Amino acid sequence: MYSLLKPCKTTAAIEAIPKERLTLDLDLCEEIFQKHCTIVANAGVMLIVSDRCEVSIHKDGRLILKTDNADLAADQAGRIAGWLDGTPAIRKHTGSGGPGQHSRR
Amino acid sequence: MSKLVCLVSGGIDSPVAAYMMIRQGVEIVAVHMDNRPFTDDKNLEKALHLVRHLQKVTKSPIKTYVVPHGPNHITFAKNCNRHLHCLFCRRMMFRVAERIAEKEGAVGILTGESMGQVASQTVQNLTVVTQITKLPLIRPLIGMDKQEIIEIARKIGTYEISILPGLCCTIVPKQPSTAAKLDAVTSEEQKVDIDVLVEKSLEGMYVLAPEAL
Repeated sequence: MYSLLKPCKTTAAIEAIPKERLTLDLDLCEEIFQKHCTIVANAGVMLIVSDRCEVSIHKDGRLILKTDNADLAADQAGRIAGWLDGTPAIRKHTGSGGPGQHSRR
Repeated sequence: MSKLVCLVSGGIDSPVAAYMMIRQGVEIVAVHMDNRPFTDDKNLEKALHLVRHLQKVTKSPIKTYVVPHGPNHITFAKNCNRHLHCLFCRRMMFRVAERIAEKEGAVGILTGESMGQVASQTVQNLTVVTQITKLPLIRPLIGMDKQEIIEIARKIGTYEISILPGLCCTIVPKQPSTAAKLDAVTSEEQKVDIDVLVEKSLEGMYVLAPEAL
C-alpha cells in the first residue's frame, strides 16, 4: 500500500505516501485500530496512534512516522496497511492519482 | 527590572528575541506551548535546551512554564474553519501568556515573530493575533530577515540547538489563511468554549525553576 518512505525535512520523522489515491474514514480507523494499538488522539483531520512508534495518519492515507529508523517505519506502515486492508475505512480512488497527487500536508 | 513573558518554541527565532531583550536588562519568563502529539518529544527537549543555553550565555535565571497545547489543537481542528487554524493557535498562546504574565507580574509578551516568515506572520494575521491581548507585544525581530536572525543565533550558540531534529507541527492546514479577518476568526472561535480551553491549559501546565533546567 505504501511505496514512498522519505525522511521529513527535519529528519525527526519519516513520511509514508500511499501508492494510490485514497481516502480514510478516520473515525472508522479509530474503531478498527483500537484492538491493534493505542489511540493517542483523533483530531478529525488526523488520527494519531502509538504502536511500534507514534504515527499521524491523515485522511489521504499519508503517514508521518515519528522515528528516524527507516526499517521500523516501513514495518509500522506495513502494519497499518494490514489493519486497513479490506475494511470500509479505506476508499480507493480509481482513474487518476498516485503518490504525486498527494499534497505535502 | 521589567519582566516579559516570552513564548519560546524549539525554533530559531524566539531564543534570539529572548536574548536581545535580556541583553537590554529585561527579565524573561519563558512559556513553551507544548504541541504534542502534533509534534514530538524532541521539540520540547529543544525548547528546554534553548532556555538552558540562554541562561548560560546571559547569566540570567529563566523560569519556564510548559503548557499543553495539543488538546486546544484538537478542539479547533474538530470545530472550526481549518484555514484559520494557525490564527486560533496563536491567539490561544497569547491568551495563556497573558494569564501567566498576570501571575508573574510581567508587563508584556515577547515573541520571535518576524514579518512574512510563516503563514501566520503576515501584517493582517499579526493584527488579528494582536487584538487578543491588552498587554504590549514586543517583537524585536519583526523587520529582520531570516539570515540576520540566523547570524545572531549562530553568534549566541542557539542556532545549533534550534536545528536539531524535531518534528514540525503536523496539524498546520494545507492552505493556511494569510489574510484573516478578525470578525471571521472571532466568529469561528464562538464555536468552542475558549474560557474552558484557557483554564484547562493553565491547569495542565507545569513550571520549571531556573535551576531545574
